[in-house]
Amino acid sequence: MLDVDHITFSYGARRILTDITFDVAPGEIIAVTGRNGAGKTTLVKILACLLMQDAGTVRLQGIDALRRPVKYRRGIGYLSEHSPLYSDMTVEEYLTYRVRLKGERALRVRRRVSETLAISGLSGMHDTRIRLLSHGYRKRVSLADALSTHPRLLLLDDLLAGLDRPQRKACAAALVAASSRASVVVTGHEIDEMLDWCTRVMVLDGGRIAALFRASDFERAELTARIDRLLAGPPSGQEAPA
Amino acid sequence: MKAIQVIWLREIRAFRGAFSCGVPVAAFLAVYGWTFVMTLRNNEGSVLQIQSIWGLSAAPWLPILSAVLTMRLFAEERATGMIDLLMSAPIRERDLVLGKFFSAMTVIAVTLGLSLLVPMLLLPALSAPLLAPASAAAIAATAFILLLQASVWCAAGTMISVLFRNQAAAAVSSLIVCSALPVAVYAAILSWMPGLRAQVAWMPLLVHVYDFSTGLFSTAVIALYVAATLFFLFACSKLLALLRLRG
Repeated sequence: MLDVDHITFSYGARRILTDITFDVAPGEIIAVTGRNGAGKTTLVKILACLLMQDAGTVRLQGIDALRRPVKYRRGIGYLSEHSPLYSDMTVEEYLTYRVRLKGERALRVRRRVSETLAISGLSGMHDTRIRLLSHGYRKRVSLADALSTHPRLLLLDDLLAGLDRPQRKACAAALVAASSRASVVVTGHEIDEMLDWCTRVMVLDGGRIAALFRASDFERAELTARIDRLLAGPPSGQEAPA
Repeated sequence: MKAIQVIWLREIRAFRGAFSCGVPVAAFLAVYGWTFVMTLRNNEGSVLQIQSIWGLSAAPWLPILSAVLTMRLFAEERATGMIDLLMSAPIRERDLVLGKFFSAMTVIAVTLGLSLLVPMLLLPALSAPLLAPASAAAIAATAFILLLQASVWCAAGTMISVLFRNQAAAAVSSLIVCSALPVAVYAAILSWMPGLRAQVAWMPLLVHVYDFSTGLFSTAVIALYVAATLFFLFACSKLLALLRLRG
């Protein structure tokens, strides 16, 4: 479903991503991990059309992200690293606004919002002002936003960061439920927990794919040890663009 | 079209609760009211009509109001990170820009509507001979030129707010562009090419307001304002697209 082909990206003279190639099938959850500055957020931003790669292509069901950006973006749900929200709105107002902005038909908006509130465990908080929510609940509202229009590709940047254990479990449950009909790319450092539900793990190092493991091919302890070894080694230097 | 409407509604809601809307509108009405009274007193007995006084009193303050209203449109989204969510939504940059631009224009239109209350409330007490009611067409023509001018200031302010994360910086930059630039261009033309004085005599903005308020329509003036508005809006959507390149 998602095909990423030889992506390269630089900020000025500093190369951030080099020759990233992978694909994600429907129903797959790919966890992207790596040290700080490895390029995880940049990769997700390119997949979300927030940055344009210097070279390479991104396609979702054959739709090129650069050639047909609006159609491509119609198929994605994106959760930003810092979960920005409009604090003056209630949870339901915000989700309604976002669902309408994503072009959902008027008749379906209310149903989509109700579904999303239920999946994300926010039904009891629908009329709470966002400014009154804790960080964990703000993250859940952001996740609900990403899930709201049944996207074919979910891009979740640092989904579990700053959440307590119950919130992490709730987010993971919502994500697993959504993954039955979507491809998922999720970044983070909480690899132990992501191994509970991801199907593949990508380790980024210095802007390159250091390893891409299929979770089912390894015993969990062995996979964790391999990832730890990769993350413990000396970081690859980021090179200047050619 | 639907995306424009959704963004417009969101922005109107944000304006309704924003300190950056209520205070500037109140300040605009106060300084405009003072200007109106002063203009009325200074021109007592002259042939200046009431709609002209209204237009000439409101027009000088519109760039400031526009700069303050538009400063938050994109600067706030960039500061909070909401710009990422807007840019990842399946909408064109053009729709995003238009939704925000129309919201600022709506606030300005309402403010101009409110400013009409000043002559209605003050005239009976100040100047009975001027009470002869202005025709609806004359008021509409004055409102039209004021809105045309405001559209340029709002489009420029919207474009400038894309460049900043800090709202104050966006407002100051908009003020410089909206207030100083037209005056500077006019002054530069007159000082460097005095022979063009006759050709550019139509450029001062208050002249346009006076002409329209007295029924002297000019297609060239309308085209100038529409072109300037479209230019700034186009530049704004291109700047947004550029954000995808630079991050």
